Amino acid sequence: MADEQKEEFISVEILSKISYNWSMGPYSGSLFTEMKENKKIWGIRCPKCKKLLFPPEAMCGYCFTEVKDDWEEIGDEGTIVQFTKAGMPIFDNRTGKFAFSERPLANIQFDKGPYIMHWLEEKDIEKLRLGMRVKAVWREQGRGRGYEDIMYFRIIEEKK
Amino acid sequence: MSERIGIVAVAQTRYHPNRAEVKEGEMAYEAIKQVLQETGLKYVNDGTGIDAAVSCSQDYWDGRTISSLNVASFLGTHFRSEEKVASDGINAVFYAMMHILSGEHDTVIVTTHCKESMTSPSLVQNHAFEPIFMRVLGLDFLSAAALQATRYMSKHKITPEQCAKVVVKNRGNAKNNPYAQAPMSLTVKDVLNSKMLADPIHDLDAKPVSDGACVMIMAREGKAKKFCKKPIWITGVSNCYEAHYLGDRDLAECKALTKAAKRAYKMAGITNPLKEIDVAEISEKFSYEELLWMEGLGFCERGGAGKVIDSGITKMGGKLPVNPSGGCLSGNPTEVAGMTRVVEAVLQLRNQAGARQVPDARVALAHGTSGVCGQLQTVMILSNS
Amino acid sequence: MANRVAIVGVGRSTQAARRPEVNDAEMINEAVRAALADAQIDINKVQAVLTNSIDGFDNFYLGDCLLVDGTGGYMKSGMKLHTGGTVGSTGAIAAFNMVASGMFDIVLTIGHQKQERGNSMGTLCAAAPGEMREFVQGAIGAFAQAAVQYMKNTGAKLEHAGMVRLKADKNACRNPYAHLRLGLKSIDDVAKSPILIWPLRLLDFCPQSCGACALIVASEKVAKKITKKPVWVADHETVHELQSEVVFGGDEEKSQQIAAKRIYKRNGITNPVRDIDCFEVYEPSSWEEMYLYEHFFLCEHNKGWKMIESGVTEIEREVPVNPSGGVLATNAIGATAMLRIAEAALQIRGDAGEHQVTKDVKTTLSSGLGGTNWTTLVLLKRSL
Repeated sequence: MADEQKEEFISVEILSKISYNWSMGPYSGSLFTEMKENKKIWGIRCPKCKKLLFPPEAMCGYCFTEVKDDWEEIGDEGTIVQFTKAGMPIFDNRTGKFAFSERPLANIQFDKGPYIMHWLEEKDIEKLRLGMRVKAVWREQGRGRGYEDIMYFRIIEEKK
Repeated sequence: MSERIGIVAVAQTRYHPNRAEVKEGEMAYEAIKQVLQETGLKYVNDGTGIDAAVSCSQDYWDGRTISSLNVASFLGTHFRSEEKVASDGINAVFYAMMHILSGEHDTVIVTTHCKESMTSPSLVQNHAFEPIFMRVLGLDFLSAAALQATRYMSKHKITPEQCAKVVVKNRGNAKNNPYAQAPMSLTVKDVLNSKMLADPIHDLDAKPVSDGACVMIMAREGKAKKFCKKPIWITGVSNCYEAHYLGDRDLAECKALTKAAKRAYKMAGITNPLKEIDVAEISEKFSYEELLWMEGLGFCERGGAGKVIDSGITKMGGKLPVNPSGGCLSGNPTEVAGMTRVVEAVLQLRNQAGARQVPDARVALAHGTSGVCGQLQTVMILSNS
Repeated sequence: MANRVAIVGVGRSTQAARRPEVNDAEMINEAVRAALADAQIDINKVQAVLTNSIDGFDNFYLGDCLLVDGTGGYMKSGMKLHTGGTVGSTGAIAAFNMVASGMFDIVLTIGHQKQERGNSMGTLCAAAPGEMREFVQGAIGAFAQAAVQYMKNTGAKLEHAGMVRLKADKNACRNPYAHLRLGLKSIDDVAKSPILIWPLRLLDFCPQSCGACALIVASEKVAKKITKKPVWVADHETVHELQSEVVFGGDEEKSQQIAAKRIYKRNGITNPVRDIDCFEVYEPSSWEEMYLYEHFFLCEHNKGWKMIESGVTEIEREVPVNPSGGVLATNAIGATAMLRIAEAALQIRGDAGEHQVTKDVKTTLSSGLGGTNWTTLVLLKRSL
């Protein structure tokens, strides 16, 4: 019944493709430059509530205070807070295609506090545990594309 | 209206063809910072500051679903209220007014932003058309405007020269406006000799691509009087939709605008707009629009706008100056344009319009449009007494 | 609120995975006509029309203008609001504000979406800024991560998610306007469904639906004239939240608790389970429903899973939650949050048909969820 209904309708596919040039602005721009040239991650500390803002922004949206110049290095090691791996193909906004994601996606908390969503090197989720320590694996040649200059996060051994 | 709603502070960024050096939110923040500093108001929940936010932006221009996320940090939305209007900015002002009158909050910050430079305006505008019959034709606002201009000009004998006079006036007015993107000293010939984009619209007949943002703080009467010396009151406002399919409308007419204007005038107690309005800021994204919208606003009879522009009464120093700011033609992003008109009207009524000031302005009209050929029309009357 | 506001008409279109037999304007029109018939008024009485949805799903820029033929907005006032997943409730709240302001007496507000088109995941991922878009997997990823945390923090098991779906499905089967009406027999049926994003199985998450919902909102003097059963809007609250590290769920106080505390305090609600008779909450995943039991203070922290286990949130019991089947059964995103308000209104009127809850419903709470964990709450009452 449902199949018969489907054939009744003429279907027209119109592909909608719009490109955007997003500006990173002075704050994310500085961060991306540091990531590209020095493989370092920086945040900016709110002068009032002291929250370390990452990505850095002109205003702390939590306590509504304008930031000053308190840039702080965040380091690139952290802990897995949550992780997941998609069982179905995921849409990639940049290519416009669906594809199975190669690696698990994780929410990682840097030792200094801020969080980042990024891929994990370990493809087998059975080997992953919440609380595992991870470290960023950087691209050889930074491209200035910020978070994409980190390829994924690698599980590191705990210092005993 | 039980109680008046006042605009307490306004700010806008300098409109620019490509603000590549800032993010959308940072651009809006330039203006947000100004109103926060001017009023000293803070984002607090105790009733002494700004209670809530109304933002206005378009996902399709920002390239981001829920584009209000771009300004969320700057509007004090964390654990507070924010609503996003997705029509032209003047409707955000309209909505904020009703939000305050409803009693939900007393003081609201309203902002709108748009960076047209980030993407292709034609592709974005194409998505405003109904997909099966219109979108596939590749229509955008320019081609639709060309259809409307042709129809309007042929039905009411408006000449290309008369349209060009709008451009000469507005681009010239923009020289007095420090926020204007592209002031120009032009002659009618310059406009008509500029490249033809879509007959009869020349390059100079169309507004340029623009990036910008504007902000205002609005409050109920009691608080408005506390927060600033001279709140500007919204005394009348209304909006109205036209049909969507271009063939369902007589493009030479502007029924929706006429209806919206009538309702706004009635609310404000205006019976003779030409006489009672001191300055008008009209959203004219194409030169012919200023003429057509003037007819809808009742500044003249149907088909009479050509004579109005010829007469010079809408020039600076004339009986009813229209677009002393330079209007949209001098550079205003879509979606922000309508709110910019309100900001300019407020500056006029506060006597803060500098070189573009219309002397002794007491009642101003601000107008905004949304959609294809001005499908949604909004008219707002403001007063400083 | 300055002037009293009531919901006088409720309309829903049929909700389904695909509605190829209608275009968006026609689908919206189904809901609009139903609302007008319910309110027993003509479209000419309506003064303003708000058309609310998320642009990206439908591929409409300025959709309110585009759809004016179906919405009834022609020659009327109106505008479009768009606040992500909460858009349906924001659209309703905007209508409440328009009428409460005194500037309008009758406002029609519409929430709609047709998710058969294009791809929803792409649009959801596009809520992240361009430079982070590679690292998001739509909303499902965030909810999956919330589920992992919930099991870790509370001891809840996968079975509890199954119990939530079972209740939702049983209720949806009694609601002709629900989309997914599967006739599940036990939580084993849920366990059999394929894994979407671990640990979320297909049935732990909401579907993508096409549908529309319309509400007619009127001022007190008009409401009393046109209907014997006005549903009064007692209060509403909107609380946004900046994207935090743990977007949904987690252990910190979030917009849900803050909104609930504010609305309860303003309305003298000290014991929500006693003071509110029925709840329609926005639960995109089974896990989120358990979180919401806690966040709205229906039970203690970390005990949401016990509530579903006890059965107390079933239609016949003391704390009915989502008698309509909720978002798990139907999710046309633009309409969903408004449907929570519409369904709650029907419960107060006693007009919910087969999914009417057993107890007498005098007060309801509807919630919306969207964006980076934004919450809207609407408190409706039979009498103020």
